[in-house]
Amino acid sequence: MKLPVLHSLRLLSLTATVTALAAPLAQAGTIVAYTALEEDEIKEYVAAAKKDLPDVDVKVLRLSTGDLGARILAEAPNPQHDVIWGWALTNLLDPRVNELLEPYAAKGADKLSRSDRAADNKWFAATGYMAAFCVNTEVLKAKNLPMPTSWKDLTKPVYKGEVVMPNPVSSGTGYLQIAALIQKEGNEGGWKLLKSLDGNVAQYIKSGSRPCKAARAGEFAIGTSLAFAAMQSVEEGFPVKMVIPSDGAGYELEASGLMKTSKNKADARRFLDWTLSPTAATLYTKFKEIVTIPGTPQSKAAQAAGLPKDLSKVLYPVDFARSAKEREAILGTWQKEIGR
Amino acid sequence: MSAGFALPASRLPRLASAMDDRWLLNACLWLPLAALLLFFVMPMGFIAWRSFMQEAGGIGLANYAALLDTPGVWRATRNSLAVGASTTLVTLLLGFVFAYGLERTCMPGRRFVSLSLTLPMLAPSLVLGLGLIFILGRNGIVGKVFGFRPEIYGFHGLVIANVLYALPQAVMILRAALRGADARQYDAAEVLGATPWRQFRDITLPGMRYGLLSAAFVVFTITITDFGNAVVIGGDYTVLATEIYNQVSGQMRFGIGAVVGLLLLLPAALSVWIERVAAQRQAGSGADGAQAPVPQPHRLRDGIYAIVCVGLSTLIVAVVAIVVVAGFIRLWPYRLDLTLRHYDITVSGGYASLWTALWVSLLAATLGVALLFLMAFAVRRLTGWPQRLATLLCALPVGVPGLVLGLSYVFAFNQPQLPWGVLYGSAFLLAMCNLMHYYTQGYVTMMTGVRGVPVQLEEAVGVLGGGVLQLLRDVYLPAVRVTLWSVAAFLFMRSMVTLSAVIFLITPMLSMAAVTVMRLDEAGFTAQAAAFSTCIMAVVGSVALLMHVLTTRAAARG
Repeated sequence: MKLPVLHSLRLLSLTATVTALAAPLAQAGTIVAYTALEEDEIKEYVAAAKKDLPDVDVKVLRLSTGDLGARILAEAPNPQHDVIWGWALTNLLDPRVNELLEPYAAKGADKLSRSDRAADNKWFAATGYMAAFCVNTEVLKAKNLPMPTSWKDLTKPVYKGEVVMPNPVSSGTGYLQIAALIQKEGNEGGWKLLKSLDGNVAQYIKSGSRPCKAARAGEFAIGTSLAFAAMQSVEEGFPVKMVIPSDGAGYELEASGLMKTSKNKADARRFLDWTLSPTAATLYTKFKEIVTIPGTPQSKAAQAAGLPKDLSKVLYPVDFARSAKEREAILGTWQKEIGR
Repeated sequence: MSAGFALPASRLPRLASAMDDRWLLNACLWLPLAALLLFFVMPMGFIAWRSFMQEAGGIGLANYAALLDTPGVWRATRNSLAVGASTTLVTLLLGFVFAYGLERTCMPGRRFVSLSLTLPMLAPSLVLGLGLIFILGRNGIVGKVFGFRPEIYGFHGLVIANVLYALPQAVMILRAALRGADARQYDAAEVLGATPWRQFRDITLPGMRYGLLSAAFVVFTITITDFGNAVVIGGDYTVLATEIYNQVSGQMRFGIGAVVGLLLLLPAALSVWIERVAAQRQAGSGADGAQAPVPQPHRLRDGIYAIVCVGLSTLIVAVVAIVVVAGFIRLWPYRLDLTLRHYDITVSGGYASLWTALWVSLLAATLGVALLFLMAFAVRRLTGWPQRLATLLCALPVGVPGLVLGLSYVFAFNQPQLPWGVLYGSAFLLAMCNLMHYYTQGYVTMMTGVRGVPVQLEEAVGVLGGGVLQLLRDVYLPAVRVTLWSVAAFLFMRSMVTLSAVIFLITPMLSMAAVTVMRLDEAGFTAQAAAFSTCIMAVVGSVALLMHVLTTRAAARG
């Protein structure tokens, strides 16, 4: 004789789980934000936003840029989020995503430079991130290699087999690196540089932060990655030096926008306003190399990176509309000429 | 998989009260079949539909045509086949040695070997990848000791990683096959003076034909659909699974991704056909065994098996152990002092996702075992088209890469106007998704176990006037108890750590442990990711052990 009580209990808990956890609906005072910002910054932003907007509960889903894009597009017929918060502008400019957004002139957006907000107010970008090399100083020492300072340096034969790059076909970071080079050097010069670089590249890794992790673990000497990943590795104590390539560091803006389908637009708008508020701006200086809000002092991150006050000196002014439009063609060429 | 064909139902004894509870038998089939239709076929239907939706708008074959023009797709196909074939060959060979050593020899260290084989199943894929790099990477231990920089990234590393990942699943199936053999055949052979080699060739191998075929098919399929290893160890070696990722996550294009996802179902479908042909050839050799063979000690044989199995198990343990250790090290491999600071998880949510994952996985395991057991029983007892349909459908889920499965769930369940739309965003849906992800492996194991149920016992139930219920309770349930347990443990473990489908179904309020590992890793906190993985493995291990103890005790009490 088995225990019938146990059976019915099990059944009961099963039904309870099913019903209790069945899709919770958006409630007033709650908004859902989809973001690709980094974990530690999200935590502080959300805490600060809670202080300024105590009646708004911001629920955050964080995925990497590429995964988030797939999720947003797959859910497009019935979106589950109210705002897109800090997501690669190149991806957001995709017409299929752009049409999900509703124009909203967030408070303070008019003060942003024209390149940092949409003419139709569908998006604005308060922050951005930039490309950087992660150079493992121990590997350099062991192999007696000089410290590289530019993309051109990386084409030198001494670095053969010691450079890892993100694969632009699968990684947004990979694409922003090569798109900036192509825009800066022109079609011909850009591809020539990439091809000679290719001779030294040991591996095209499928995510943007992984090249930095491979370099910091000592698997390879140099990973072309993001400044964020480089600084995080330095902070963790790895023997890593961050190098901003002197001949053009690509960068990406982190754009935010309001979803047409949001069921709580009032709170969603207040949150978007908040992301441009002075409180937010102050927090950005703790994490971000690029802050677009005028009057924000140079960030700690930018100082640590040794960046000049005037970023335009090292950042090539990327034309995002163009890089979004040319994406398919550039990736097609990359796969034919370089792809492995 | 063809289990149903192994022993045509017409050869099974008719039950006395068959007419009365025919409906019960049918319910045993239709309940799990309905779940399969709703949670697998329907979502995959949406993927099929997507594969015809053209980027330019309209419906047509443009995605199929575009696939042929995608640069590198043929190379990715060739690479996938090469990796799949090599992995299958190595895994079957090793898997057979392990399974045979565990079931048919008295080698010492069986418990250690058996436990070490669960490690690759309960470890998040990050652990296996990191462990291999820490040991075999360019800056790894092996290279440091021998003073060179090994080249693990690419074909060889990928095969090693895939063997590590697939081996436990192959052993699970092969062990179930070995358990079903009949001791009396060996006794007879012994009396007739057959050499051990002759016994092995004429009794053991033919008896395992299905197990070997099924294991080969499962290993091949999980290898060509696996993304985790390909992205970490594969380096530039592109395979079809990474091609799907390039399309879907890299370029936000679902069309071609859907096409590749469907094409990857081909090997699975093909395997059903191959096994059916094999079954027709073998008809008539169904084992009517009552007693499983009990291995007798044999010093030389036991010694050889012990050296091979314990040796390889030690390597498996080393891969996982080094990551566990790294979670306690300040900065691997540069500053080797011990610390606990990585256990202070910094991402929001902290350890909460661990408990969510635990409940979701227990749900997946419980539902899974119940559905799979009924399915296997019904497939064996019934004939006709529903049974053949079920056989085909059960073989397909393993052919679906996690990313495609996750996408299909979004397409199918994010539909508020359809009745099943209420499931979207629920823990139940996550559990079903994880169950479907590993459905085939569970089914194959269950079927292999059910196939070993002795026909005489069924006859006895029939003679005594028992019906379907008695048959289930008194014959099948006790006979496959060990297999039930191993399937439940397998589903539970995999559901705890699987990632690629899950990232499409988590919500801000509902996250899974494997996602926390991914978030920590993406944020650059590798050591914390290792520490969190260690916690997952500890929890999974404890729960599995607890379940094991409880089931053994319940069985002992009768």
